[in-house]
Amino acid sequence: MMFPEFFDTTPLRRAIDSGLDWVIANWGAGFEAAAWPLQWTLNTIERGLLATPWWVVIGVLVGLAFAATRKIGLPLVVLVALLFLGFLDLWEDSIKTMALMLTATLGAIGISVPLGVVMSGSPAFRRVVTPVLDLMQTLPSFVYLIPAVMIFGPGKVPAVLATIVYAAPPLMRLTDLGIRLVDPDVLEAGWSFGMTRTQRLIKIQVPLALPTIFAGINQTTMMSLSMVVIASMIGAGGLGYQVLQGIGRLEVSRGLLAGLGIVALAIVFDRITQAFGRRLQKRIGVAEARH
Amino acid sequence: MKLYLKLAVAILAAAALAGTAQAAECGTDRNIDIAEMGWPSAAALARIHATILEQGYGCTVELVPGDTVPTLAAMVSKGAPALAPELWPNASKQAWEKGLVEGAVVDLGPAIAEGLVQGWYIPTYVAEANPELRSVEDLPRFAELFADPDDPGKGRFVSCPPGWACEIMDANFFKAYGLDRTFNLFSPGSAGALDATIAQAFLRKEPIVFYYWGPTAMMGRFDMTRLEMAPFDEEKFACIGDPACPNPEKTDFVVPDAVKAAASWLPQEAPAVAEYLGKVSLTNAEIGRMLVWGEENKADAEAVADNFLRTEAAIWTKWVPAEVAEAIKASLN
Repeated sequence: MMFPEFFDTTPLRRAIDSGLDWVIANWGAGFEAAAWPLQWTLNTIERGLLATPWWVVIGVLVGLAFAATRKIGLPLVVLVALLFLGFLDLWEDSIKTMALMLTATLGAIGISVPLGVVMSGSPAFRRVVTPVLDLMQTLPSFVYLIPAVMIFGPGKVPAVLATIVYAAPPLMRLTDLGIRLVDPDVLEAGWSFGMTRTQRLIKIQVPLALPTIFAGINQTTMMSLSMVVIASMIGAGGLGYQVLQGIGRLEVSRGLLAGLGIVALAIVFDRITQAFGRRLQKRIGVAEARH
Repeated sequence: MKLYLKLAVAILAAAALAGTAQAAECGTDRNIDIAEMGWPSAAALARIHATILEQGYGCTVELVPGDTVPTLAAMVSKGAPALAPELWPNASKQAWEKGLVEGAVVDLGPAIAEGLVQGWYIPTYVAEANPELRSVEDLPRFAELFADPDDPGKGRFVSCPPGWACEIMDANFFKAYGLDRTFNLFSPGSAGALDATIAQAFLRKEPIVFYYWGPTAMMGRFDMTRLEMAPFDEEKFACIGDPACPNPEKTDFVVPDAVKAAASWLPQEAPAVAEYLGKVSLTNAEIGRMLVWGEENKADAEAVADNFLRTEAAIWTKWVPAEVAEAIKASLN
């Protein structure tokens, strides 16, 4: 039994479409200019990484892995994963993907951490933002990707924006949660020492919430990597594009290897951010025990 | 589970037989799966065939989503989907010819009778503003006009999504016409993004140079001008389509063809269906009319097909025997 048709949706849909056309024709240039900082950041990161010799990139990431764990295991895993990318001729694509992921993660941090802080302080704001975050995470990305291409032009900018839309919510939620979970006793101590609201936020709440925020950053990195293939569908290039080519030409090998490349990148960034998170947690745990 | 399925199918089939007076024999009790491609004309054709085969011939029909390369590969290797109503074999020429030779697929004739085009296009407003830009040979002098935002020193040519045959052709044409130094090849990643990219440029009256083909809704909607190319040469073009072409040379695109492709079991088991499909043919203008109606009414493929069957009976009744046409007409009301 079909749901009865109460009114014709055609005029509504026509209005939405011609509205979008109007926005593109009249405001398109403005939107593109507004997105310029994003384009600049991405291009700078990408050019910088591509100009860096491969062994420096590997060295830095292995070094980070060591700094985070002070053990030999993780640096070894990172080294193997990166060498895998190099030997399979996926280096340049991996760098492009890495640049996209880093830009999206930076953008997500820039948006999510401040908003998360506001959310933790204002239940009213949280009530408004939570459903928006739910929407951002569930709306199929192609729904906004294609309009984004029409507004910002094809290529990396709409891809980064879409990735931010998808990857920012967990960080915002975890920032909010982390700050609210800070022990009220510690806050009261700060209060009694005459700290202002801002001082309490910067000196107590955010540092104590850092492990949770770091878990959010880890989530955001992983989610931006999972958007790589979809971002390539609007011209972002990188490993995702190789996967698409593999699918389109029925070259299973190409798709599989590039897919494994994405996994290798995911392992590298997941393990490094996780290790840093654990390190922070330990430090704060110890600091708390001393008091 | 399987038994239940079979039972259900049997009951459904019996109900269908009892319910409608059978106009013609389908000939096969196998499921005829029709590939519904992503673009509007092919999707509408798939829906039209589905209705006619189901209501007119009493076949069991299933629509499956498809795309040129994977659908063709599946037809050649597995005999499924059974039917691709608008397949562009040039997109995967080797697989298509191999399938024909091995007898896995059959060519049931052209899907669109005339008026097929493909090539490199610029908006007509750009062509009018730059009268010296007429052919692909002129492009290097106009690289600045089509500047690539990611690499402003060069122009940007909007090529095809990954996996399309034209992606390879465009890359080889780039070499043949020596565009590597002045232009970047840009792949929009998907059909949706390609259309969005073109629509953006047209809506903002900006210059763009891109690959496109027709008949398509985009070509009907936006006024575009084809860039001239060197005369067509079959041998040179064969090399252009080869990803490993050692030395691409100047030539034009081939005039594309779109065929009705069927897995070979379909005409063997269901000759009546094959006869019908053999008769199906639409002109560019007829397809255009269908697409424009869909665009104007924001209709999906199903609604476009339904409208076609209701309003264009003069066309489709020529494809089927009179009693089949009556059964279909009855089913529409």
